[in-house]
Amino acid sequence: MERLVKVLSQSLRAVIVFRLRTSFCLLSVALGIASITIIVAATEGAYKKAFDMVEMFGPDALLVVSGSDEARAVGQRAKTLTLDDVQAVREAFPSAYVVVPMTSIAEVTVAYKDKKDQTLLVGATADYSRAWTWPVVQGSDLTEEDIKGLRNVGLIGQYLADTLFGDESPVGKYVFVRNIPVQIVGVLSSRGMTPMGFNLDDRIVMPLTSVMTKILNERKYVPVFRVRFTDQQNLDYYTNELKLLLRERHKLPTGEIDNFKIISPKEIIAFLVALTGSLVVFIGIVGVISLIVAGFVLANLFLLSVKERTTEIGIRRSVGARKRDIRLQFLGEAVIITTMGGLVGFLAGVIGSHLLTLVAQFPIHFSWKAFVIGLLLSWLVGIGFGLQPASQAANLKPIEAIRG
Amino acid sequence: MPLCVLEQVKKTYKIGEEEIEVLKGIDLRIDYGEFAAIMGPSGSGKTTLMNILGCLDVPTSGEYILADNSVTHLDDDRLSVLRNEHIGFVFQNFYLMTYATVLENVLLPTLYVEKQKHGNIGKKAIEILDLVGLKDRAKFKPNQLSGGQQQRVAIARALINNPEMILADEPTGQLDSKTAGEIMGLLARMNEKGKTVIVITHDSSTAAYARRVIHLKDGLIVDRDSWSV
Repeated sequence: MERLVKVLSQSLRAVIVFRLRTSFCLLSVALGIASITIIVAATEGAYKKAFDMVEMFGPDALLVVSGSDEARAVGQRAKTLTLDDVQAVREAFPSAYVVVPMTSIAEVTVAYKDKKDQTLLVGATADYSRAWTWPVVQGSDLTEEDIKGLRNVGLIGQYLADTLFGDESPVGKYVFVRNIPVQIVGVLSSRGMTPMGFNLDDRIVMPLTSVMTKILNERKYVPVFRVRFTDQQNLDYYTNELKLLLRERHKLPTGEIDNFKIISPKEIIAFLVALTGSLVVFIGIVGVISLIVAGFVLANLFLLSVKERTTEIGIRRSVGARKRDIRLQFLGEAVIITTMGGLVGFLAGVIGSHLLTLVAQFPIHFSWKAFVIGLLLSWLVGIGFGLQPASQAANLKPIEAIRG
Repeated sequence: MPLCVLEQVKKTYKIGEEEIEVLKGIDLRIDYGEFAAIMGPSGSGKTTLMNILGCLDVPTSGEYILADNSVTHLDDDRLSVLRNEHIGFVFQNFYLMTYATVLENVLLPTLYVEKQKHGNIGKKAIEILDLVGLKDRAKFKPNQLSGGQQQRVAIARALINNPEMILADEPTGQLDSKTAGEIMGLLARMNEKGKTVIVITHDSSTAAYARRVIHLKDGLIVDRDSWSV
């Protein structure tokens, strides 16, 4: 142990003395570790964002969207889901504690005094807040009476509240939604942006009944409904049951594709992870390549160094260094350098990924994991590419080494 | 009491298909406390003999016993330990580590000691530097010293682990005659203090410091008694 420390102190000494070699190796390793750090942070960020989204969506929730999967954009989807479908689901699944139909219209003009905003109009049933686990921070949620009475009331998002009302309290005030006066009953808490850049807080939520009859002139079809189950672990089973029920109600023959789409938390995660995936793969390839290049730079500079320091090796061997002492010393030099490279690279990665978030909508998240992965990789490069030169140094014959 | 005993030591090098016998059967005994010079022209095999005496190489056949250790069949690790404990080397080109200080150079052999016996090794190094007259140069780098001073550092390094034997390979080869005399005088003083000193040289004025001269020719010891002083 004492000997190990002494030999490694010689490594540290050489790392300081041979500065040029140290800085070249260090920089090339740092470059690789920096990009690896960004990847790990981005991957973690993507997952974290995905799980945050699922938390908002509800891990126990399913979203059923009208129309087949072919026509993706919501506005273009065929009307296939009816209010009767929603009622049937409510009756068929006793464990579904929330079954809410919804509708939405994009780019609806909402005005208050001289201020205007193009916003998302959502038609929902009572207890919107509970259905979306989305707290109301001012005023109150939509009630059963609001729905039954087709009342002109609205719940607004934080962004819309700020845009229209500024410092004023919106609750009780009237806004115009497509020239219909609507009283604001509550304000939702802030949820921010989605990874795709959609502002969740820019919306007004009104009773579904009011939106359908007064704005859409629609009495039967809903574009989407949401179901939440008390037993989350059976969500896969419910997804399938729900699909069978709707297929039966829609009288779809076997082989015919679904004329609706069920979105589960799993799909949301898959989608969001795939979104950052391509960038991660790109930086990943860059990272791995630069680490391999760094390894070769290190191996080459160390082989040169072993040649240059043949006499030193001979001296050490003649005064009693064993092969393993020499190997340990050179390996120690390599690992010390790559460790420093790893630390510098991690710092550069932190800075780099913050810069990246300025340029692109790119969720990043740093944890000890990125740090540990970077450190382990730098050790791997140090040992992997340092071993050959170190063994070459160790295997020099003392009599040949001492003669230079 | 014998420190080194060589019996019919042969060393053969293989160069391509050809085998060259460099040592052709050396019988030699060197006792504790001797000051011996091994002399011979180039090609006589004196470097090979010094490599074997110094445990830097092993005989092809024959027996070499150093301080009661049979060296011939030892593996590399055991040879390293023998060098570390029993032998202090002094080379023609000094062979100091250029990036390390004088003190660090002197301490080099202590890095590879299995278990440190001496209490304060730094203090001991300073004492030895004082002995070779370089106490005030401890923090210098080798390139700030003259050739003679560098060789003194090498001698101090050879002494630090307190080996029985100092093996000096052409210790004066790079030095002017005055400095050479000082270095040989220093080695003689070490011998008086009880060290066994073996000097390999082709220079008779250097060999003259030794109390015994072993003459080597074509891989054999020639009439060694006639060279004894």
